[in-house]
Amino acid sequence: MAGEILIKPDLQFVKRVMAAGGDTVKKCYQCDTCSVVCNLTPDEKPFPRKEMLQAQWGLKEVLSAPDIWLCHQCSDCTVYCPRGANPGEVLGVLRQMAIEKYATPPLLAKAVGDPKFLPLLIAFPMLLLLFLLKIMGGMGIKVGENLVHQGIAIPEGKIIFAKLFPTLAVDFIFVPAFFFAVAVLGKGVLAFWQDINAPHPWRVKVEGNLVCNLIATLKDILFHNRFRTCETTYTRATNHLFLVFGFIFLLIVTTWGFINEWVLHHDPPYFLLSPIKLLAMAGTASLLYGIWNLIKERQANAEKAGYGSYYDWFLIYVIFVVGATGLLAWLFRLMHLQILAYPTYFLHLTAVFMLFFYAPYTKLAHFVYRTAAMLHARMSGRGF
Amino acid sequence: MEIEKKFGVYLCKGCGIAEAVKFESLIKVIKKEGKIQHIQEHDILCSPEGLAMINQDIAQEGINCLVIAACSPRVKYEEFDFPNVMVERCNIREQVAWTQDPASEETQALAEDYLRMSCARVKKTDLPEPYETECDKTILVIGGGTAGLSAALQAANNGYQVVLVEKEAQLGGFAARMYRQTPSSYPYTTLQEPVVFKQIQEVLNHPKIKVMTAATLEKLDGQPGLLDADISVGGDVETLRVGTVVLAAGWKPYDATKLVKLGYGLSKDVITNIEMEEMAKAGKIVRPSDGKAPEAVAFIQCAGSRDPDHLPYCSDFCCTAALKQALYVRERNPNAIAYLLYKDIRTPGQTELFYKQVQSDPGVMLTKAEIAEVSLGDGGKLRINATDTLLGANVIFEADLVVLATGMVPATADEPVLNLGYRQGPNLPDLELFNGFADSNFICFPYETRRTGIYAAGCVHQPMNMAMAVEDGVGAACKAIQAAEHVAAGMAVHPRAWDETFPDPFMQRCTSCKRCTEECPFGAIEEDEKGTPFFKINRCRRCATCMGACPERIVFFKDLNVDIMGSAIKAVDVPELEDEDDPNFVVRIIGLICENDALPALDAAAVHRLKINPAIRFLTLRCMGSFAMEWIKIALNNGVDGMILLGCKYGDDYQCHFAKGSELCAYRLTKLSETLDKLGLEADRVQQFQIAISEFDKLPQVLDDFVARVREIGPNPFKGL
Repeated sequence: MAGEILIKPDLQFVKRVMAAGGDTVKKCYQCDTCSVVCNLTPDEKPFPRKEMLQAQWGLKEVLSAPDIWLCHQCSDCTVYCPRGANPGEVLGVLRQMAIEKYATPPLLAKAVGDPKFLPLLIAFPMLLLLFLLKIMGGMGIKVGENLVHQGIAIPEGKIIFAKLFPTLAVDFIFVPAFFFAVAVLGKGVLAFWQDINAPHPWRVKVEGNLVCNLIATLKDILFHNRFRTCETTYTRATNHLFLVFGFIFLLIVTTWGFINEWVLHHDPPYFLLSPIKLLAMAGTASLLYGIWNLIKERQANAEKAGYGSYYDWFLIYVIFVVGATGLLAWLFRLMHLQILAYPTYFLHLTAVFMLFFYAPYTKLAHFVYRTAAMLHARMSGRGF
Repeated sequence: MEIEKKFGVYLCKGCGIAEAVKFESLIKVIKKEGKIQHIQEHDILCSPEGLAMINQDIAQEGINCLVIAACSPRVKYEEFDFPNVMVERCNIREQVAWTQDPASEETQALAEDYLRMSCARVKKTDLPEPYETECDKTILVIGGGTAGLSAALQAANNGYQVVLVEKEAQLGGFAARMYRQTPSSYPYTTLQEPVVFKQIQEVLNHPKIKVMTAATLEKLDGQPGLLDADISVGGDVETLRVGTVVLAAGWKPYDATKLVKLGYGLSKDVITNIEMEEMAKAGKIVRPSDGKAPEAVAFIQCAGSRDPDHLPYCSDFCCTAALKQALYVRERNPNAIAYLLYKDIRTPGQTELFYKQVQSDPGVMLTKAEIAEVSLGDGGKLRINATDTLLGANVIFEADLVVLATGMVPATADEPVLNLGYRQGPNLPDLELFNGFADSNFICFPYETRRTGIYAAGCVHQPMNMAMAVEDGVGAACKAIQAAEHVAAGMAVHPRAWDETFPDPFMQRCTSCKRCTEECPFGAIEEDEKGTPFFKINRCRRCATCMGACPERIVFFKDLNVDIMGSAIKAVDVPELEDEDDPNFVVRIIGLICENDALPALDAAAVHRLKINPAIRFLTLRCMGSFAMEWIKIALNNGVDGMILLGCKYGDDYQCHFAKGSELCAYRLTKLSETLDKLGLEADRVQQFQIAISEFDKLPQVLDDFVARVREIGPNPFKGL
């Protein structure tokens, strides 16, 4: 018979989905209520019903399905599921597994999703930074008018964070970390793009100009047009928007700071009311407001929308710590509390490293895969 | 002994009756035309004061034949029940006060006609004398499976002697052959040891239960209360006297050799659910071909069920059984996968919770699928081509073992288990309507069969699971007890369970035409060697179909015969025709209605205060099957313009409480138009309609349309002759 598919279920895959937080996946009895209540799904070949079935049958190709990324996990499906199968949560787990699948090395993604490895994941940047301090101390690097770097110790005098980590040192670690993340993400998203366009029974062909469509998709994402059609966790879209704009502001600030340092040769810290500082404050406030409300919202909606997996919370807390330590380090500096300011700054750098370096392995990677999936949906005429 | 009849009419003024009709002229009619002089009125006749008044008359005046002109006989029947007194209910509340314009001429005429009819009837009615015989109340249970055991225990624990006949050497039926049973108590998640063995022990140890195994029922003859069961054990036939019967003969699996398309016979590794159960019970689940433990087992549901080429019905148990067997596979091999390929998962009642539990097992994979073919695949595997699955339009599954969910075939499908010595045949009628199951369309009354005193339970009754079979056994046993008690007391069983009248034919005039023996829905009439019919009264349900069937009109009940009804029809006052061409002439129509559907529908219409056409005088029949052609003649001779018959729905999904009445009546009417033509009368003057109990809202329109049609035809030419 034409178009026949041999179904090869993988029991281990089912077990992995269930262990990673998708323990409800088998409860689905395919009534399709989820796809009906979903405001995001295309009308043709809607999700999440088919993904639930593929997951409970252990059909691994579901990890290459673009539709798992079209879901924004607003949890409308989970709320209305008559069987308690929590499709929203299950698709979240599938996305986690997809990130793992496309990440290099996948082992790191596994570690990010496993609380056992948390100490190791924190220890790595900390030891790296401590090691850096140690060797800088031995090298007699000049960090001020009359000051030499003192290694692992709190610098004296007016608080200037460059006394602990000179800008060059920060860049020495973070620029490679950033490019590593970009490379891993790039590799992953390319493989993903190939997979979703590879010939398979469920493929939808793409058409049109890639760049134009990408710009349109990014515009969609920037304003959260799709995310805001969610009902159950409507406020999540707004809070996420704050978070995204917080990141964008801080990205501008960082780029600006980079230019200041290397092109204009202005050393931080900057004047309190300088535009760059004001933007940094706005960015931090937006980020913290967004992440704080996301945490509160998740807790409040846990009953109906699900509490989320450890994998979700890993990223949430890293972002929260980045924002909180950034704010506190700044406040402690203004308050001249050396004993608090420098360690907080150290923690801040640790958290920022975790955010960037682990980005291809954490939920943060969603922004590239989801963008690719939305682009694919737009280009294949699926109503995006 | 004939007692002198003393008549009294009691008029109730309550519930709006007094506002609708004028009592003075009503009383005049009763005295002059009804010829009953003792008349009492009361504001609320059913009140203690009203009833005391009647009781006083009975005690002091010796009144023993009452006409209660008040509400419908379907209400207040306990209040208006007086021992050893004839009661004729004249329904002037629902059929007059609540459905007619108050105090109009037509309303008054209608009420007066109803009183005339009641007076005429009560004159000819006698007190029933119950038909009492020396009855045995032993309950015969056929089949020692789950349902039979349950029925036997229910009857025995209520103090009745039970004879349990099982054709196998062991009790327990299919339940005893199972490895595990699906959970029967909350939380319905874990498999349990079959509970049937406990039931078996209880039955074997019960002093009131006589167990006969390896035994078959060779013949069952007689009538409820006096049944003779010839039971053969190893060729020795023993005849036992029993009262009533629970038929719990169970089922057998559908013949899988007919399922070639599904691979049965193609490979040893395609087995049935029964074979799977036997394998599990024997201790291991392996491929019959090579003895290896299967890694993937495909359960194909509805194998031959819900399939017009095989069994058109759902066998009810197979989905739950497959879920259970999927657990067998998973428990033995944690790496094995069980596919469940279904049309729909049907897990009745609490088994839904079990379904949820099994579904949560990571290795149980479920999808809807139509199976196109099962064929041999590579490496000794079986290849299942499926269409319309949830996974795609055309997919292939590979399995090491295929289990076909073959359905249930009732024991009664191929053999007359009961072997009845009845003229109408050894088997239950209507089996073909229910695919061989001993089921019935006695709506709202499960367990009934068309053989009085024989009640079906378990899978011979309907496809069902064990939990339901246990309940079914209990229910059928209760019905069997009820029937045994009723026949012993000389009363009818359902649906006239209070009735002490019975058919008493005047045999001298019988022509042995055998119409009654043919038409009796319950096979209550047998024939002697000369071919003369005689009644087995305990089989009779008192529908009076025989009365309607008899061309000689010789079937009499104490309160019903052709003459009594004829007198009531004759009593209707038909006004003389003043102008033959007046299109607005006064129409008079007789409405014959069935007591189980049309009467309650009319009552419901009254409760809703719907207007009923005042031209029609309703007379209630036990069943349309009792309709006698004679009444048409009487009515038309009396100048009535038409006759409307309101029976219940008939056909395959009949709603008749007596199975065939409405249909028989319609059949008789087909012969009528010829007769009417000969008389120069239009066939449309007599029409039958099918009215369900729920169709009260449609009734006024049906009646108005009929009256309009009769008006269109014109007045009865015999009027005034």
